[in-house]
Amino acid sequence: MNIVALVKYSRDVTEIKVDPATSELRTAGVPERVGLIDKNVVEAAVRLKEATGAGLKVIALAPATARDSFKDVLAMGVDEVVLIEDPFDGEAEAGIVVRLLEAAIRKLDPVDVVLCGFASDDGYSFQVGPRLAERLRRPLLAYARGITPEGGGLRVEQNLDDRMQTVTAPLPALVSIDEEAFPPRRTTLMDALKAKKKPVNVWGIETELGLSRADLESSARIADTRLTGVVVRRQQRVLKGQDLGAMADELIDALEQAGVLKGAA
Amino acid sequence: MGDKPTILIWSEHPALARELVGAARQALGPGGDVALLAPTGVAVDIRSVDVVFTTESADESPEAWAALLAAAVSQTEPALVLVGATKLGLQVAPRLAERIGAGYAAWATGFTLEAGTGAVAARCSLYSGGALAYHQFKPGRVVLTAAPGALTAPADAPSPERIARQSTLTAEVDGIAPTVIGVRPKATSAARLEEAHAVIDIGQGVKAEEDLALIESVAALLDGQLACTRPLSSDRDWFPEWLGLSGKKVAPELSLLIGVSGAIQHIVGVRDSRVIAAVNNDENAAIFAQADVGVVADLYAFLPVLVERIKARGMRPAWQ
Ligand SMILES: Cc1cc2nc3c(=O)[nH]c(=O)nc-3n(C[C@H](O)[C@H](O)[C@H](O)COP(=O)(O)OP(=O)(O)OC[C@H]3O[C@@H](n4cnc5c(N)ncnc54)[C@H](O)[C@@H]3O)c2cc1C
Ligand SMILES: Nc1ncnc2c1ncn2[C@@H]1O[C@H](COP(=O)(O)O)[C@@H](O)[C@H]1O
Repeated sequence: MNIVALVKYSRDVTEIKVDPATSELRTAGVPERVGLIDKNVVEAAVRLKEATGAGLKVIALAPATARDSFKDVLAMGVDEVVLIEDPFDGEAEAGIVVRLLEAAIRKLDPVDVVLCGFASDDGYSFQVGPRLAERLRRPLLAYARGITPEGGGLRVEQNLDDRMQTVTAPLPALVSIDEEAFPPRRTTLMDALKAKKKPVNVWGIETELGLSRADLESSARIADTRLTGVVVRRQQRVLKGQDLGAMADELIDALEQAGVLKGAA
Repeated sequence: MGDKPTILIWSEHPALARELVGAARQALGPGGDVALLAPTGVAVDIRSVDVVFTTESADESPEAWAALLAAAVSQTEPALVLVGATKLGLQVAPRLAERIGAGYAAWATGFTLEAGTGAVAARCSLYSGGALAYHQFKPGRVVLTAAPGALTAPADAPSPERIARQSTLTAEVDGIAPTVIGVRPKATSAARLEEAHAVIDIGQGVKAEEDLALIESVAALLDGQLACTRPLSSDRDWFPEWLGLSGKKVAPELSLLIGVSGAIQHIVGVRDSRVIAAVNNDENAAIFAQADVGVVADLYAFLPVLVERIKARGMRPAWQ
């Protein structure tokens, strides 16, 4: 059996700042890393590998400079990373990302289980899983909190809005994992040493995937995207000092002025 | 498409479907058509809808809804399909977009549809709510998802009584859907956070479950309900639900954040509060830029003093 885990090299959105005067987003220098949600994807994939003895590869569409960022992922138990060198520098719309991931999955065929996150840390758009299911024509077991191999297929515990639901599907299938369900394991020095011998293969979209940049671009449905930051409009008054009683009084005064507290009538 | 564009709407939640209908009607003006794929077994207020599709199918899988929507699309040729951003809708909409070759974007907070050309532009929430993306789509069909309350149409949007054409849709799912073998409804939480006047929102700065007594003493004085960040719910299991991007969103008179770092994914759950106050012992914590008033102090030292001062001054919540 072969498993593929999809891992996004994501922006740490907590580090994105907004210029309060111009609403301009400051994304330069924002750290990029394997997404936190996608570390959960890797954990789920490694557990499935352990339960079935399957092979496990990661596919990531990322800049070639991300090569060295997959050490943790390899140490967790992944056999190999396929890094599709992103010709669009992270700016391609999801429709194109999905086509690239699809092409890589097809090239690795046979792939029995594809695991992805319900949403990525920075995109948070919930779309890669359902779109891939549609393109690959495979069942999608979405929002998985538990994944069990069963009768040649998978049984998955789904966390939906109003209910938990158990579903089964034959292979090949796609699974998207739910938030927080598979906290990544800690790795040991031994794991890290083993990981050093594991490959990160960089694939070009033309050379390895046989796709042309022009064809991909012509499949775009969005002509133009402009980004602005959301400016916080808060008073941002900060009280500090040694006298806690005075600070408590100042806080109470501020809340009274704001009409949240009132004095004894 | 053409001169009289159509917007097709679907959500499994009648209230959300109604919101989307309101926004669609407003965007179209009197000239275009609103078509609605009605949620199963629910009578919808179809006052401003022109076409209503109903279905007898008992299959409520995302695959089935995507197939039904695709059928509704071929009958109505909409310029835009609007889907409610629930966990179900967020599975259905990207599938539909892929199936009909449409453009797609999630988390719309606004959109325009040009009457003559059918050109669609959308404003969407990005980076966990820290940014907005303005997408101009290429000519052709577009699918958008919108969360409850995200597309606020004025309640008095012109909605002349329309006589809706009704028809029944059937659609076949072609065998790639998973098989459902068991369903357990979720316990609904007793806390009515959305209705609270004050929310006392705690984070990992609160170290032990015993410390909740201290937090509760503050909550009692402020007539507040307790809420928390995700780690306190998912890692420590102190509460069944959390506030934030993937949790609940509240908009009380006061949110008091205690030992909360102020990560954007959490802040989006409280940022519509009228007043935000915070206590954190790290003066560089991001929360201070997100609050009206912040106190740099150790919560264990500060909160007992705060309680004492509120009592000594006979202060109480303005709404009591
Ligand atoms: C895609 C995605 C979605 C997410 N969705 C959510 C979500 O919906 N909701 C959510 O909450 N999080 C969410 N998160 C997680 C979020 O990014 C933060 O990690 C989380 O909110 C941090 O919780 P915290 O503030 O309680 O903890 P921490 O970040 O650990 O902060 C604790 C704070 O307490 C302060 N503190 C410590 N001791 C004291 C003391 N004695 N007195 C006073 N202050 C003290 C510290 O200075 C610190 O600022 C999401 C993350 C991702 C990637
Ligand atoms: N560039 C990428 N490379 C690899 N996997 C990705 C990429 N973008 C998204 N994914 C996968 O798709 C999931 C959902 O992402 P999204 O639909 O963008 O919210 C992520 O958790 C990843 O598993």
